[in-house]
Amino acid sequence: MNKEHLLQTDEKVTWVSYAALLFAIVFFSGIFSTAKGWLQVLDFTVLQGSFGTIGEGGKEVFRGSGGTGARDGFLFALTLMPSVILALGVISVVEGLGGLAAAQKLMSPLLKPLIGIPGICGLALIASLQSTDAGAGMTKTLYESGAITDDERTVFATFQISADATITNYFSSGAALFAFLGTPIIVPFVVILVFKIVGANLMRLYLKKVGQKTKNSPAAA
Amino acid sequence: MAQEQQPRTVIDAFVIGARRGLNVALNNIAPNVVMAFVIIQFLQLTGLLGLIGKVFGPVMRIFGLPGEAVTVLVSGWLSLGGGVGAAASLYSNGTLDARHVTILLPGLMLIGAQLQYMGRILITAGMESRQILPTMLVSLIVGLVAMFLFQFIV
Repeated sequence: MNKEHLLQTDEKVTWVSYAALLFAIVFFSGIFSTAKGWLQVLDFTVLQGSFGTIGEGGKEVFRGSGGTGARDGFLFALTLMPSVILALGVISVVEGLGGLAAAQKLMSPLLKPLIGIPGICGLALIASLQSTDAGAGMTKTLYESGAITDDERTVFATFQISADATITNYFSSGAALFAFLGTPIIVPFVVILVFKIVGANLMRLYLKKVGQKTKNSPAAA
Repeated sequence: MAQEQQPRTVIDAFVIGARRGLNVALNNIAPNVVMAFVIIQFLQLTGLLGLIGKVFGPVMRIFGLPGEAVTVLVSGWLSLGGGVGAAASLYSNGTLDARHVTILLPGLMLIGAQLQYMGRILITAGMESRQILPTMLVSLIVGLVAMFLFQFIV
């Protein structure tokens, strides 16, 4: 969804950026969801609140129970909207305060050991966590400018295609299932990120085995 | 979001993101969820859901899931909203429980929307056709392995 504004690389990373990143992690982690007093406002599910109840005994929200088909699906979709609006609003604030730039700065030195792509991919990687099209577009640019090799592009694309636009999709479509989860919402999210990295490394192994042409080319750097 | 103004204040930033959330919910999630609920309703009324449950039961048991959960993964492969819709619908009618949904979520996200992503990522990034199949296979494997391992944590 996002476009080229993510290509900017000159964003300053200050303590505010790190604070914003830390806030985002805490906010969506659920660690303050059962906190007493003011601390609980630092939690996504707390701020998300609850619907008023209707029906006998006041047990049902407006979706009711026992519905089926398109009508039930639509009302279910309606129940999701406040969460999606809140989540993407907060993520936008975190982004505006430089939280994602801070994540990029922390991630860049880890990219080579972790998934075998150069640190210059950091911006594209963070962009891909937000927007499928921004990440893919930037990957193409990185390859065409010679910053990454053919193999590195394949590894990077493998990282992206599993659960792409991770942040956006998890907190929008994925949010549909948050109410039914048996774990804090951050747990499946971390599992997803870990397995994105696993996928990239599977591709690395595969490419190593196949012995792609770029292996012999020293122009790779 | 090229057409959006750059946020000047925190409030601006929130409202811009919130509007994006409303758009996604309205234009992507709602239509896909309605479609998924209708498909599940169709499968249920025709008795096909029970059949799917029986046929895929042994395979899905590997992941600690009932056979019907395969509909979540298949519709998720086509569109993420469809996958979560199917999961929500199956949760509503009691086929899936909270633990099943928790196991499914990472798998669904990792496998999700691969059909669209083939074009939107692999073609956009300029990958050659010989690289596309391995890439998509890896993502499928990763999704399945993630669910398999996650069932022991949940």
